[in-house]
Amino acid sequence: MRTVLRRLRRRLRRRGIGLLHVYVGLLLLFLFLPLAVLVLFSFSASGQLRFPITGLALRWYQEVFSSSAVIDGILASLGVAAVTGAVVATVGTLAAVAVNRYRFRGSAVVAGMILAPAALPGLVIGIALLNFFGDIHLTLSLLTVMIGHVIYTLPYFYLVLSARLRRFDPMLEEVATDMGAGPLQRFRRVTAPLIAPAIVASAFVVLALSWDEFQITFFTIGDQSTLPLVIWSRARLSIDPSVNAIGTLMVAGSLLVVIFTRRFIAESYS
Amino acid sequence: MGIGQGVLTATRRQQTPAPARRRWALLLLLPLGVAISLGFVVPLALLFVKSFETSLGYGQVSGHLTFSSYVTALTSPLYRTVAVNAFEIGGIGTVLTLVLSFPLAYFIRFRLRRGQHTVLLLIMISLFAGYIVKIYAWATILGTYGVINTALQDIGLIRHPLSVLLFSKIAVLIVVTYLSIPVSTLILVGAMQNVDRSLLENARDLGAGGLRAVTSVLVPLSMTGIVASLAYGFVVISGDYITPQLVGGTTGQMIGVPISDQFLSVGDQPLGSALSFLMLAVFVIVYLVLTRLERFKGV
Repeated sequence: MRTVLRRLRRRLRRRGIGLLHVYVGLLLLFLFLPLAVLVLFSFSASGQLRFPITGLALRWYQEVFSSSAVIDGILASLGVAAVTGAVVATVGTLAAVAVNRYRFRGSAVVAGMILAPAALPGLVIGIALLNFFGDIHLTLSLLTVMIGHVIYTLPYFYLVLSARLRRFDPMLEEVATDMGAGPLQRFRRVTAPLIAPAIVASAFVVLALSWDEFQITFFTIGDQSTLPLVIWSRARLSIDPSVNAIGTLMVAGSLLVVIFTRRFIAESYS
Repeated sequence: MGIGQGVLTATRRQQTPAPARRRWALLLLLPLGVAISLGFVVPLALLFVKSFETSLGYGQVSGHLTFSSYVTALTSPLYRTVAVNAFEIGGIGTVLTLVLSFPLAYFIRFRLRRGQHTVLLLIMISLFAGYIVKIYAWATILGTYGVINTALQDIGLIRHPLSVLLFSKIAVLIVVTYLSIPVSTLILVGAMQNVDRSLLENARDLGAGGLRAVTSVLVPLSMTGIVASLAYGFVVISGDYITPQLVGGTTGQMIGVPISDQFLSVGDQPLGSALSFLMLAVFVIVYLVLTRLERFKGV
């Protein structure tokens, strides 16, 4: 066994492939195998999870798209994500600009407060909000879901945008001030256009997080379900092949968002 | 950066007096203050108060403040078992995630040049593929009528489905580790961006082997990322209440499940609140220990 491994290693190394390459390949396989199984079985004609697949069919997709619960779930998720994205982009941008541009006493405390929700499990935020909404007699609906999503996504938006703001050249704002621009005009004419791409990209991170959020939504949802909760109601009791199709749609959705923001991802890691 | 910026910052400070800057900052922070107070601080404070109230049954609560929920939470063997389980899975899962992600992060940061963005993209896709979707995908693989069991039966290796694959502590551990690897890798790659490639090369030139260079140079320099990955992973994994319900069975239950149960239908909400704050207390302790660890980076 050991000599076989050693020989294999030598052969791979001759082609410039080290153990690390093999390891990374296996880890990526581990990350994508469950998703591949999901996508594969979503096209399976039979409901059984058995290899080899006996026939290909779109029957699970037909079932999914003829289900009003799924369509409503998709629409609810899109609506919640859009509103959450808009609110977080507005509130988060103002805060990030305040903390990063106007250094003031207590700005570290403010930054800590913004990031605090990310340090708690979704469960605790979810039950705290449920308890709070009960106390103030606010009926659970998609509105309460949005409130939860805003709190959950704000820290991530702030982190991503601040990383970008720190690299932004303060001299450009100086020039605007020297040429007589007031704070408001300076923001509107100089700062905003410069950081707009970063705001849009950070907002897409919010969309992806909101689209996927489950743990807080579970406690703040009313009569209407978001897509992850539709999946939960189907997947909780038994294996339901239609979930493979919904899951594939969710993977496709996140794929689109990630590809859309890929330029930004490349920038933030370089 | 450097002198130029320092001078400019100094001139700006002269132009815009501190009280004016402070006024602008406060104005910009107002919406955030409202959002965080109403959506986070107040709800959390009310939950804390609730943990001292007493349940009258059927979801009703008396305003009389006592420690009785904390006493129940700490003395009941039922909650102790699932709490120990949660922190055990959290601890093992977090360390496992770090050990598995670190080589991947190292590979992305220092070995890849052109392919770097592609691999980061793949990790982002895996990250955003959907929490509930990914857990369900594992259930289809490990389940009684899942991929592994039917395959083993078809080959003839087993006659009856193995139930230990799904509905066990091992299944929970596999899934939570799987869920945590993308985030951990992104945190570590981010931390390694600040590590100069030449430092690793120097260590190698001075005779350190590849692995030695990594452990003695890269690990201390990326300690912030390591600690962040451990702290974040421990909170997220130990506080998970969905994975144990979908793949945990009887042996893989965690403290989040009874906590969430108290807030559904007619549970004991003060008890659920007390259990949550005890869980948060453990997170604070773990966090303090981890930041101590960070300070020992010189060893």
